Amino acid sequence: MPPSIHPVDLIAALREKSLTPAIVFLTSRRACDEAMEAFDHARTVLPPARQEAIAAALERVIAQYPSIAEHPLIPTVQRIGVAAHHAGHLPSWKIAIEELMRQGCLDAVFATTTLAAGVDFPARTVVITQSSIRKARDFMDLTIGEVQQIAGRAGRRGKDYVGFAVVTPSPYIDLHVLTKGFTGSPEAIDSQFTISYPMVLNLLKAHPHEQIQAILAKSFAQFQLNQRATVLEGKLDVLHTQMEPFGPRVCTDWITQWHTFDQARRQKPHRHQIARNESPEVTARFHFMTPGRVVGFNKGRGIVLRQYRSKGQKSPMVTVLRAGGAVTESPAGIVTDVFDRLFECTEQPNYPWCTTESFDELLYQLTELPTRLPLLPILVSKESELIPDAIVQTLGDFPCPTCSSRPACQKDYLMASRLRQEQQRHIKSIQALRTSLWHRFQERIDVLQKFGYLSPTSHLTDDGEWARLIRIDHSLLITELIRAEAFAGADPAVLTGVMASIAHDDDRPGAFPRVSTGLSSLLGQVRKLAESLSPYEDPPLLRADIAAVAERWVSDPGLTWIGLCRSTTMAEGDIYRLLARTLEFLSQLHTLKDTHPGLADSASKAIDLIRRGVLEELP
Amino acid sequence: MTTDELTQLLVQQPIAVLHRLARGRVHRHFRTGKRRLIELLLQHSSQNLAGLESDLQALIGERQTRAQAAPARPAAPRPAAQHPSAPPPGRRPHRPHEPESTEPAVSLAAWLEGLGVPTPQPFVPDPWQGEALAGLAETDVVVSVPTGSGKTYVAVEAARRAMEENRTVIYTSPLKALSNTKFTEFSKIFGSDRVGILTGDRQDNSQAPLLIMTTEILRNLLYDAASGEIDVRLDTLGLVILDESQYLADPERGVVWEETIIFCPSQAKLLLLSASIGNPQDIADWLTSIRPSPCRLVRHSKRTVPLRAGYLHPDGKLTPLFRTAGIPYGHPGQLHPEAKRLFVQYEEDTLPSGRPRR
Repeated sequence: MPPSIHPVDLIAALREKSLTPAIVFLTSRRACDEAMEAFDHARTVLPPARQEAIAAALERVIAQYPSIAEHPLIPTVQRIGVAAHHAGHLPSWKIAIEELMRQGCLDAVFATTTLAAGVDFPARTVVITQSSIRKARDFMDLTIGEVQQIAGRAGRRGKDYVGFAVVTPSPYIDLHVLTKGFTGSPEAIDSQFTISYPMVLNLLKAHPHEQIQAILAKSFAQFQLNQRATVLEGKLDVLHTQMEPFGPRVCTDWITQWHTFDQARRQKPHRHQIARNESPEVTARFHFMTPGRVVGFNKGRGIVLRQYRSKGQKSPMVTVLRAGGAVTESPAGIVTDVFDRLFECTEQPNYPWCTTESFDELLYQLTELPTRLPLLPILVSKESELIPDAIVQTLGDFPCPTCSSRPACQKDYLMASRLRQEQQRHIKSIQALRTSLWHRFQERIDVLQKFGYLSPTSHLTDDGEWARLIRIDHSLLITELIRAEAFAGADPAVLTGVMASIAHDDDRPGAFPRVSTGLSSLLGQVRKLAESLSPYEDPPLLRADIAAVAERWVSDPGLTWIGLCRSTTMAEGDIYRLLARTLEFLSQLHTLKDTHPGLADSASKAIDLIRRGVLEELP
Repeated sequence: MTTDELTQLLVQQPIAVLHRLARGRVHRHFRTGKRRLIELLLQHSSQNLAGLESDLQALIGERQTRAQAAPARPAAPRPAAQHPSAPPPGRRPHRPHEPESTEPAVSLAAWLEGLGVPTPQPFVPDPWQGEALAGLAETDVVVSVPTGSGKTYVAVEAARRAMEENRTVIYTSPLKALSNTKFTEFSKIFGSDRVGILTGDRQDNSQAPLLIMTTEILRNLLYDAASGEIDVRLDTLGLVILDESQYLADPERGVVWEETIIFCPSQAKLLLLSASIGNPQDIADWLTSIRPSPCRLVRHSKRTVPLRAGYLHPDGKLTPLFRTAGIPYGHPGQLHPEAKRLFVQYEEDTLPSGRPRR
């Protein structure tokens, strides 16, 4: 059996059941292009009347956007009535296809699932061939929301009584993901609030430092953190009532008393052996890796079954249930994320560390986990508290042996101390939830003060005043470059090349051999600076081939679009997007005309030079 | 009947029967699993086991007569999940497994029925569209409806009404391509002199009463206004439409939507248009907590054009994907037997080891 249906057969099957027009979502751009090639020798051609209708509609679009007049796909589109629509194409081509689709001229469009949100035209049928998409260099299952977004393109209002979503398998499809997506209700969305350097500068420009916390409190992020804090506060109230029987006794703070006693008893024999060289992060997190907790690793996630310290080194260890039922022992240090999700887990003293029922239950829960989980905010305390020697030495003077409530204390201590630990954990979590945004903001302020964009009193310095106008990704790198006068005397072409390499964030391979010496030496400097800034800002890819493409377009005004496309292996649409994004970055530099006239002038020249040919077509 | 026999009988019953039995007997019985439910039932009626038994017999009798009556009715495509029988007790299956329903699965012909082009009808706004527009007259509105239900109509009408009151309207979309599409579309509706576009690198007709931009540009405008470089036009701003606001959850760009909403001037109304999401109420509550007037939420999950799901085998054979013609919402396990058979066959043929994954 073929691993997946041949595109020609697919369209034939849809036509036979009158399920056209259809949008076929395929795994990759390449799959779309290959599907189009498959029609080169297809014998079923459209009746002449429809071919003419397509030609006429195309004429009208071409009159508006002449750049697509020579598009290599046009003959296939006209003859067969199918087209490809993906990010590798020029926007004008995509507009043309959308227009043809709206007029009902086409039978099928091949699109990539990755950009399903950008496919803004409906059809009678959508065809789904995969259950996962590539996100951030990893394949992730489609969420329910994404499946419904895709299925939402099926059924044209006013033109169809019903819409159809047809699943056709390809290797690595998981039908379960898709049926869940069709029948489920979409996931809740979570805030993705991040605090960027320009945000800090702009907030501090407009508002005094004291007001910022109130502004951050207005974010959806804080709203959701507060929701979680409220849940924890409810739990805290329950704990509070549970703690009631363990109120003050002969000594008011008998729990602490016993706790210290217990700690000391445990630590005393090997107090000198423990060389705690674990990082404070691990120590802080280790408390939360209790049985039933969902944790994340570099690859995949798992549920903690037990936590313990290793026999020799006393290093923190966890036993984790991984996908597929594997039970692994790992050092706590390799856990990358501790999630805010805790399942019931009935512990047991020997392998597999929990009862069979809860093992099955946890394994089931692990497969059913949503793709995104909220992280547990954990405050890291810098130093771990050691019990002062004085207390240990006075252990002999402990009043308990003669105390009247000693038996009661001894009986209740374990329960009370467990409850109190839980209480303290919740209090810490709530505190972290309420203040984490503010802490993140403070961290950004510290960095900006270090670099001199903010004064020690958190007012904008002269550099901060102009730096706040750069509101794009990698803003710190760009402003530092400007301050280092890296662009002094750089001509528009070199400036464009550098900005393009900063703007481009796609690692799709491309090739362009010739880079001018001026550009390559400047890029070397930029790389060095980006490297030194990496603790504060993720460095961009800074690809030389990308810089060269952009430089060439600006430095040679006689170069045609086709000439530029021939000189690289990048797809047309990618080049277009690269130049459009570079334009955006350059126009941000242009706003610095008051403080850096030379740079702004160079940027505005570059903008004028970029904006020709295809880049002038769209508003 | 002894307690043991009664327990045996209860175990054999589908969970739905047990839940009906538990009504009025067990508090919050819908939260429990089968085994626990039986335990609770016996515990609660330990004084009156005979009463429990007679109720049980009555329910079983009723069920049998209904089962006999069922085949006599025409097999209308109806969600078959109404009488799910019990899953086998014991280990919980790793996939939610739906038992075979008593109704026959839908045939391909019935699945394809109703295909065609409706006769053109005069456009009548859906109730939710009216509700959203009425809400917008007073306060901010969050709309969460399935893709393709006609969010654009709400945007256009809202913009028209705001512009009639000489107010400026800003419409933002997440992608530049969508902005361009909307620019063309709105120019046709309102006339090209009344619509402008601002994107990262270009400004066209930026004094028009209806401005289309990407959300980043609006965020930048709001920052400039906040830091004193006052854009006069923000005073006349009457309405801000944020299309595709489910982008709030985008890992890289979501923050821009939050900033825009936080800094949106209070005299301007906010209209958030979003595809179906799980927690629109949270968004509305959030807006209520930071905006001057309580936010109105308009949501519905019913598609305007109903959806049907099918399965196309690589050899060209088409079958319905689910037992019912429509989508059996909430029951992902109700696969059409034919689709199930073909897919299992596909997995066996294509997986190198012949073993199913997982």
